[in-house]
Amino acid sequence: MQNTDCTFICEQFTEYQDNSLSSKIRARVDTHLASCSSCSEIYQKLAGVIETLHKLPTLQASSDFNSTLLSRIETLNQETVWQKFYHSSSSRVAGYAIAAGLIVAIGINIMIDPISPVKTGIQSNFAGEQIKPNQPTESLAEISDSSANHPVDSLTLQNSTINSQNQSMQLVSGKK
Amino acid sequence: MSEKPLKTDEQLIADFQNGNENAFVELVDRYKDRLVNFVYRFLHDMTDAEDMVQETFLKVYKNKHAYREIAKFSTWIYTIAGNLARSELRKRKRRKTYTMSDLSFDDNEFTPVDPGKDTEGIVFNSYAGEEIMKAIYALPEPFQTIIILRDIQELSYEDISTILDIPMGTVKSRVNRARLKLQDTLSYLKE
Repeated sequence: MQNTDCTFICEQFTEYQDNSLSSKIRARVDTHLASCSSCSEIYQKLAGVIETLHKLPTLQASSDFNSTLLSRIETLNQETVWQKFYHSSSSRVAGYAIAAGLIVAIGINIMIDPISPVKTGIQSNFAGEQIKPNQPTESLAEISDSSANHPVDSLTLQNSTINSQNQSMQLVSGKK
Repeated sequence: MSEKPLKTDEQLIADFQNGNENAFVELVDRYKDRLVNFVYRFLHDMTDAEDMVQETFLKVYKNKHAYREIAKFSTWIYTIAGNLARSELRKRKRRKTYTMSDLSFDDNEFTPVDPGKDTEGIVFNSYAGEEIMKAIYALPEPFQTIIILRDIQELSYEDISTILDIPMGTVKSRVNRARLKLQDTLSYLKE
């Protein structure tokens, strides 16, 4: 493109090709193309490209296109049935009820038995010393009583819980 | 005996919306080849193109009630297919960036048609379809789409304007620029 007129002319090529330019502008393009070899060459090339594009071979969908699509639609419909169930209000209510029931059950379990000791034949005290099942132990009440009056040695907890950090610290310091 | 006039696309989709599945099949038969041609120009792979067109019809099937007769059915389905194809194209381009070096013709893939053998009057400059497609593929995405819609699918400027949701003036100027770019690319390849 040599000058602004060439730029303007090139911008008109699409509509020139489509015969959609006003007669005035079309005449201007005609005149320019007749005198400008550069623009004329560009236009000829462009026309060749467009014509080739129009002649590109047409492709056809494969013969099993419809049957494949049909089977995908059937799969889709089956999924939709499950999705409908999943999203239906009754299934949602059932899901919420189960979830609520589980939460309540877990809550009750925690309230009744906050820290369940492992019920094994041999249990360990806080110092990691193993004790035999028939070894006499003190209950939490006894520990509380004894720790209040005198230092505690090798205290063992069985069938009881310690829910106070102070208590456990006392027990550890008592061992030392 | 006069033949029963064909229903318009818009009548068929209305029938389908009212539960007539045969109307959907009729639409599939009308559009599958056109859409495969359209999508193939983006993806250059027949299997992927068919798969994408199937996705398009599945979307139509699932969202049949989303169609309103304010637009032509053809522009609606082309919009769906075009969006899917361009999305796939972007995914691919993230995986591999094409450069002009990919279009090198040292490997003898570039074979301009011999003008002497051209019987259709395209004497000045003709290109083999494969080279044209390579050149289209090398265009920036907006130009690529517009060339495919206008010069391969031969859709009207109005339809393209609706499909791409851009003003008619922009469509025309973009078609012009895309054609010039395409011609530049082909000239570059031929030198």
